[in-house]
Order: sequence, then structure tokens, then C-alpha cells
Amino acid sequence: MSLAELPPALGAENLTKKYGRRGRTALSGVNLAVPSGRVIGLVGPNGAGKSTLLHLACGLTEPSAGSLTVLGSRPAASASHLARVGFVAQNTPVYGSLTVAEHLRLGASMNPSWDPDLAKRRIGEAGLNPARKAGQLSGGQRAQLALTVAAAKRPELLIFDEPAAALDPLARQGFLRNLLEFVRELGASAVLSSHLLGDIEQVCDYLIVLCDARVQVAGDTRDLLAEHARLVAPRAEFDRLPAGVEMISAEHRGPHGSAIVRARGLSAPPPYRVEPVSLEELVLGYMTRAAGAPLAGAGAGEGSR
Amino acid sequence: MMWLSWRQFRVQALVGAGALLVIAVFLIRLGWDVRDGYELYRAHCLNRADCAEAAARFRGAHRNTLLFLAAGLGLIPAVAGAFWGAPLIARELENGTHRLVWNQSVTRPRWLLGRILLVGLASVVLTGTAAALLTWAAQPYDEIAGDRFSALVFGARGIAPIGYATLALAFGTVTGLLLRRTLPAMAVTLVGFLAFQFFFPNVVRPALIPPERATLAMTAGAINGAQNLGGIGGGSVIGGVRIPGEPDAWIADTSPLRTADGKNLDTAVFGDCVDSPPRTGAGGTFGDAAVCLARLDLHVDVSYHPESRYWTFQWLETGIYLSLGGILVLFGLWRIRRGAG
Repeated sequence: MSLAELPPALGAENLTKKYGRRGRTALSGVNLAVPSGRVIGLVGPNGAGKSTLLHLACGLTEPSAGSLTVLGSRPAASASHLARVGFVAQNTPVYGSLTVAEHLRLGASMNPSWDPDLAKRRIGEAGLNPARKAGQLSGGQRAQLALTVAAAKRPELLIFDEPAAALDPLARQGFLRNLLEFVRELGASAVLSSHLLGDIEQVCDYLIVLCDARVQVAGDTRDLLAEHARLVAPRAEFDRLPAGVEMISAEHRGPHGSAIVRARGLSAPPPYRVEPVSLEELVLGYMTRAAGAPLAGAGAGEGSR
Repeated sequence: MMWLSWRQFRVQALVGAGALLVIAVFLIRLGWDVRDGYELYRAHCLNRADCAEAAARFRGAHRNTLLFLAAGLGLIPAVAGAFWGAPLIARELENGTHRLVWNQSVTRPRWLLGRILLVGLASVVLTGTAAALLTWAAQPYDEIAGDRFSALVFGARGIAPIGYATLALAFGTVTGLLLRRTLPAMAVTLVGFLAFQFFFPNVVRPALIPPERATLAMTAGAINGAQNLGGIGGGSVIGGVRIPGEPDAWIADTSPLRTADGKNLDTAVFGDCVDSPPRTGAGGTFGDAAVCLARLDLHVDVSYHPESRYWTFQWLETGIYLSLGGILVLFGLWRIRRGAG
């Protein structure tokens, strides 16, 4: 079976989540079809709805409207589906009074597909003392433990909610490296949320930009880089852009303007100059647009397909 | 999965087992004491007058200890509900570990059911064993005292405590699930369940089975057999009357003293009789007052439950508490399935 025939890792249709009676909207009309076999980066500012999307994906909450499928089924619908998805929550919670070894025992007793050798090896490689209580571990060590517990049940999809946010740069490097090794060893897909673009750029090959409860853009990172460009031209020229060019965000300083635009195979004639964009510029462009014009999200749906 | 449930409950189970051991040793020794006292009472019970005095001495020797024990052991379900039930989910939610444990290959309802069954079983064993030992220890006393129906005593004997333990634990667990904070959930469980334990015997229990009704003539003898005349709220009331022929029946409700035409006795007349009765030199608990009141040809209307209904009440009440507990557990399972992340 080729990757294209597999059900999408994440499939969302008009997914909406509201909290409480006053109805703060955390996600609004999200459409997604993320293929399997990818390392997916979910980026966006704090409060954009990243955690909500990931909690929906592992069944910790239920949608207010719309639907979400994970690996082709409703999230956490059954024990066998739970076995296929591993989740590491924000701040990597573990049981403070249980030792590292007891966490592995916990995993073994609650997961039929548990791989004890993998777990033991990874704990050794991360330098964790099995007899140590999890409450005494450093943030980095705790994250490694949580990662091992989530991964040693050999899931098909690993979900990480801001896993490295609380770690110092060195621990973050180690964690992300370990994460990638796990994903490769398991042949799993992974979703990783972060507000740190650097982390995402380093490990992800698929990107979802979530701002203001809506998906701004989603796609394969190479495709996204090919479809976006920086356009530099005299300021006046931006009022009459060539057909098929969508303005994402503009930045005008002096007589020349510069903008991130979306267009397939853009080759604009002078006076335009086309420059490639970095992933960071692209993401910032979408974030700027979402922040500046909260109602402009209407066009976001197209980008998510 | 049960490994984790057991691992998380280990320390609490040990504390519970230790407490039960202390309670059991105490109750067994008490049981022997009570039996020794009972033998002594039997030895002195040669004629009616001696017998009454020996019985009074036997009751007096154990009354306070047994009441204190009934009250103390009656707290076990509420305490277990607060310390074992309330943190069951609330602590996971508070520490965020629910996001770890709910993403293992066990569905949330199954996880919850496993935990509730383990902790609930422990609570039932603790409460049930303590209650069984107390029932055994107090058995000769209960036979003489005949007040097994009083609110405190009833709830500490027989099988009713098993129902209480189940309901308290389910209540604590669901409260923790809804409040999501351990300490408030513990407080609400403790206060809420104790309030329920007060409310149920006083309001619901008397009406569980339609009571029998009787009219008791208030002769001087009957008045002297009662426990008190007058009350805190004023009025022509008499408390603790006994039904002739059914001395151990549970009097659920007693009307004020009534005259032959069915009207409540005038409080001024009642007050005169109680405060300044004509001297007759009569004996008994209430002496001249009893004679004075008896001359008025009074009666009270009572509703009561015969002693023979004791086990019917025990089973009924246990069944009700078990059912309420079961409903709460079902609600918890439904609620946690919907998600509480």
C-alpha cells in the first residue's frame, strides 16, 4: 500500500471548538487533510488553538461542530485506536511519585503493543536512572521519559504539544533529535506543535500555520516554499499585481516595497524582482496577516487543502 | 492497567489496613468485655427488681463507648469518600497526568471503572468489617437496650454501612471529576455526605415503609416510662414513650399530649402540672407531675415501626444507597467518556 492510499493522519472538516457558555472560539471551521508518513509542524502564536487541535486529535476533548478523523477513525474511539496514537502533552506530565522504571511498567501494563526493549534502550541512551523518581528529574529528562512512554507502545502517529517549550536550548536539541530517531525507528507520522519556528524548521516536512482559531496555510514545506516568494518592486506597483498573485503581507520601507506573495511558478517581469522566502518569513507573513486583519481569515480555507 | 491503579492506591490501602487492624483489635476486646458484662447481668438477674437494676448497670457501663463507636465508625464512609474517592480523578486533572494516563491503550471509562472498583472494594471491606465487628461486639447490649433503630446506631450496624461506603466513594469520585480540584472536592464530599447521612435517617427512613399507627393512653405508668416531658420548643410534648407489648419498636413520630376530644393539651395546663403539681407523694420518673397529667385523661398518637422490620429497613436502605452509588458511577463513566481534558 502506498502512502497515498493510507487514510490521512489528520482529516478535519469544518472542525470547530468552543469553550464554556460564553463560547470562546478556540477553533473555527478548520479543514485539513494531512497525509500519513510526515513530520507535521503546527505553528502559531500562543492562544491560536494549537493545543485545542491536538487535544481533539487524541480525544481528550470533543468538537463542538464538524468532524475530525485521526488515522481514519474518530479519536480515542477504542482501546485499539488509542494504541495507534501516542501523545506527549504540554509540560510533559509524569507521575512524580513513580520511578522511571515504574513508568515503563505502567506503559507495559496498559499497552498490549508495548515494546519493552525499545523502552529500556531509549531510557539508557537518554541517561535516565531507572530507580529515580520522576519527580526528581530535570525538565529535559522528564520530557525524554514522557517521549519514551508515548513511543514505546509503537504508535503509528505521535502527537507532541509544545514538547520542548520549557527546555533549555541544549535539552531541546537532545529532545528533538531523540524524537526524530523515534519517528524514523517506528516509521510513524508525527505532529508537533510549537511557537518556536526554529524547532519546526529543523524537524518538520509538513507545515500547518494556525492563527486566530483558523488554519492560515497548510502543506508540504517544499511545496510551500516553491509557491511563495518575496516580491520586491517600487511601491506603486503593488496596487496592480499580476493575475494569480495573492498578497500575504507587505512591508514598505522607502520608495521600494517588499511583500510575501503566493503564486505558483511566479516569474514577474521588471520592475518586479522575485526572491525566494525562508520558512520563517513565510510563517511570519501569514501570522502578520492574521494579526492585522482578523476577519481576513475567509481566504484561509483554500490554503489548507 | 490494574497495576497502576494498585500502585497509586498502595499507600492509602496500607493506611486503611492499619486503621482496620487497630479498630478490629479494639472491637474484639470490647466484644469480650460486653460479654463479660452480660454474664454478670445474667447472674444478677434473679428477680424482676434485681434484673432491672442489673440491666441498667450493664447498659450504663457500655452506653457511651458504643455510641461513640457508632458515631466514629459512621464517619469511615465519608472519610474514605473524601480521601480516597475525591482525589481519584481530581488529582490527575490537577497534575495534568490525565493527559498521560488517558493516552495509553485503555479507554477512559475502563480506566475509571478499574480504579473505582479497586478503591470501592477497599472502602467496602474497611467499612463492612468494622461494622460487622461492632455489630458482633454490641450484640448482647443491643438485645437489652432495644434502640437499634436510633439514627446513629442503625447506620453503624449490620449491612447498611456497606451501602454508605459505596455511595460515599462514588460521590467523592464524581465530585472530583466535576470540580477538577482535589481539596474543594474533598471538602464537598465530606460535608455533603455527612449532611446526607443526617438527612436520610431523619427525613427519608421513617417513610420508607408506611408506619403503623397507635393511640397510647397516658396513664401515670406510661408517662413515667417516657424519657422527657416538655421540650426545647415549648408545647405539651412527651418524648421517648414506649408501646406496650412492643417495647423495642421504633417510634417514628409522636403527637403532642392530647385530651379526650383530640385537641392538643393547653400548654398552660401542661405547665401547671409539670411545674407545680399537687403533692401526692407518688414515685416514678416524673412523680407528682405524672399523676397530675394522668388525671386529665390524655393520650398521644404515634406512628411506629415494629422491631421485626429491622432487617427489612437494613436491606432497603443498603439497596437504596447502592443504587444511588451505581447511578453516580454510571454518570461518571458517561461524563468521562465525553472528555474532561
